[in-house]
Amino acid sequence: MSRWRWSVSALVLVSASAVASPTQDYVLNCMGCHGATAEGVPGKVPPLAHTLLQFMRSPAGRSYVLRVPGASNSRLSDVQLAAVLNWIAGNFGSVTLAVSTPPFTAQEVAATRHTPMASLRATRREVLKELAASGPAPSEDY
Amino acid sequence: MRTLQFRAALLALLVNGGAFAAPPLAAEKLTVEPLPPPGPHWVYVVDEAFFNEIDARVRLFDGDSYRHLGQIDAGFSPGVIESPDGSTTAVTTTYYARGGHGARTDVVEFTDNSTLATAGEIVLPPKRAQIPPTLFNLAYSTDARFLYVSYITPAGSFGVLDPKDKTVLDEIDTAGCVLVIASGPNRVSSFCDSGRLLTVTLDSQGHEAARALSEVLFNPDDDPIFVQGVPTANGYAFVSFLGQMHEVDFSGAQPSIHAPWSLVSAGERGRWRPGGTQVAAIHRQLGRLYVPMHRGGEGSHKQGGSEIWVFDLNTHRRLARWPMAASHIGPVTAVQVSQDASPVLFAGSDDGAVGVLDALTGQLRHLDKNLGQTPWMFLSP
Amino acid sequence: MHRLDRIFEQSSRSLAQRTSRRSFVAVLGQILTGSLLLPLLPIDRVSRAAAASLEPDAAPPPPAHKSPATAAHQAGSDDPQSCDYWKYCAIDGFLCSCCGGSSHSCPPGTAMSAVAWIGTCHNPGDGRDYIVTYNDCCGKTSCGNCGCNRNERERPLYRLLRNNDINWCVANADSNYHCTVSVILGLAEKDQK
Repeated sequence: MSRWRWSVSALVLVSASAVASPTQDYVLNCMGCHGATAEGVPGKVPPLAHTLLQFMRSPAGRSYVLRVPGASNSRLSDVQLAAVLNWIAGNFGSVTLAVSTPPFTAQEVAATRHTPMASLRATRREVLKELAASGPAPSEDY
Repeated sequence: MRTLQFRAALLALLVNGGAFAAPPLAAEKLTVEPLPPPGPHWVYVVDEAFFNEIDARVRLFDGDSYRHLGQIDAGFSPGVIESPDGSTTAVTTTYYARGGHGARTDVVEFTDNSTLATAGEIVLPPKRAQIPPTLFNLAYSTDARFLYVSYITPAGSFGVLDPKDKTVLDEIDTAGCVLVIASGPNRVSSFCDSGRLLTVTLDSQGHEAARALSEVLFNPDDDPIFVQGVPTANGYAFVSFLGQMHEVDFSGAQPSIHAPWSLVSAGERGRWRPGGTQVAAIHRQLGRLYVPMHRGGEGSHKQGGSEIWVFDLNTHRRLARWPMAASHIGPVTAVQVSQDASPVLFAGSDDGAVGVLDALTGQLRHLDKNLGQTPWMFLSP
Repeated sequence: MHRLDRIFEQSSRSLAQRTSRRSFVAVLGQILTGSLLLPLLPIDRVSRAAAASLEPDAAPPPPAHKSPATAAHQAGSDDPQSCDYWKYCAIDGFLCSCCGGSSHSCPPGTAMSAVAWIGTCHNPGDGRDYIVTYNDCCGKTSCGNCGCNRNERERPLYRLLRNNDINWCVANADSNYHCTVSVILGLAEKDQK
């Protein structure tokens, strides 16, 4: 818990000099669709609460998260995007899972986000299958 | 006095008698007016009917006789486009089962432009983008084999339709990029938040074969381009909020951009701005560009133009400034120009008025003060 | 801790108690406490506006060639039925306050949009920038009263999260557009595009 919190705080400090806090970045760039509790809209907008952390468990899941439209094409910089994702995971996720899950770095975001995903639906199916086989995972109809 | 009364009575008798003497009006026969053959200055006026938005319509107007020739129904927040051969109008819209509410049906409806009669439909998944009209809400491939419809749920994607068989072939995810700019027989480009264009190439069955993301073509933060593009010889031209002109060539496998140029001088920049719902028109053969311009600042990009500025597309020189007050036209929010040799310019304002101007001189030929409610876009056949 | 953080401190605490997602404005209604709304009390706005112009975070002066319409908006208004109300700085639609609702509530019998766009407006009354969410109210045909077309920091459709052209009832089952509200979420840390 403390290690995770420390990592997130460090990233917040980095991003503070860039523009604004990840809290405000979430409000202005994510919350309109994903909602104040990051639960999304069933059938329309996928949830981030709990599920983001679950995706973050595996390399394929992390890559998927960074290449979905809301992340890949977001106007947020690599530093800001890493910070806001870590903030979401920390605020709307399971504490136990957070301890063992490494946060995103700006380097990882930069290296991944602009690789286009040919088929979002097919990629998601594969990632969900892989995650389900190895621990807590979003439901199949995510 | 008596003589006067007598004379008046005699006059009344004569007048009445005269009326009785004329033959009665012939009985009328109720018919349906056939649509006359197309004129060079016909224009389809997309009336969003914003104040009762489930009842949008497209009015066919003749810029020579100044007559409203007929109407195409357009439902709620429609997209409208003409087929490449001009024979068909395609409208993508939404109907609610009980008028203002109830089950949602999204649909593309076709109209035969020679009769204005409906000519089939394609029912869509309930995903179509409910947005103001642009040329890219729906679009035909150049050979009319495919029809593309923009979806926003709010996730971005588009439908690939077969307008001949009236079927939905596929849905292509666009990774948050929006609208459908068709080029060639099988390419669709979409605007992305990052200032890039995503181009998806389809196979012969309308399924995705490849996709590519362009370089950054415009600056969505500091000087975003309007999505209301104007057809050019080999692509589309897009003006930006601050008056930069971006001409994008869509003739190759991937879109490429010419060096942007400015509609405004350094002194005018940020003060005079383009604005409205259809922010430019181009006469392709003459190489003339028409842009409604207003004095404004941040946030004024939907304000209509108090003037129309005319440019030479080849030399980038401004040829004229036409103040609209002289023609008694309110702020101009939409412009279109006919493509013939004696072109007319249509200038619509948000109060429902449409001016018909000589596109060579700016002279007002006609002002229709009430050609609908909110004429947000004109389509030249 | 910043004010906005408090929203989420409470929201994540209450997250576990909530099993189904309700419309996020309803959730925010619970989340937003008096402390967040305090700066909005309309105490002698005029004199405060004068003072605000001296504050470092006051809005820059309007451009020299602004239109008369822009000038009215710059001056601001406290009338929720006026398009000049500062909170409406990027509403393109009908004001719900003229349709049976208020500046931050939907008219009876309509539904709040499940998704919305979120931006900032400058309040000349206290010189502060606020984060507001623009929700549409859905499920009845267009109200038609108090049409308002303001677009400060509004951006074209490709920047969907800053766009007021799309019908934000898009994710509702009954997606017809009726009117628009502007709901204060809190103070902005700094002005954002």
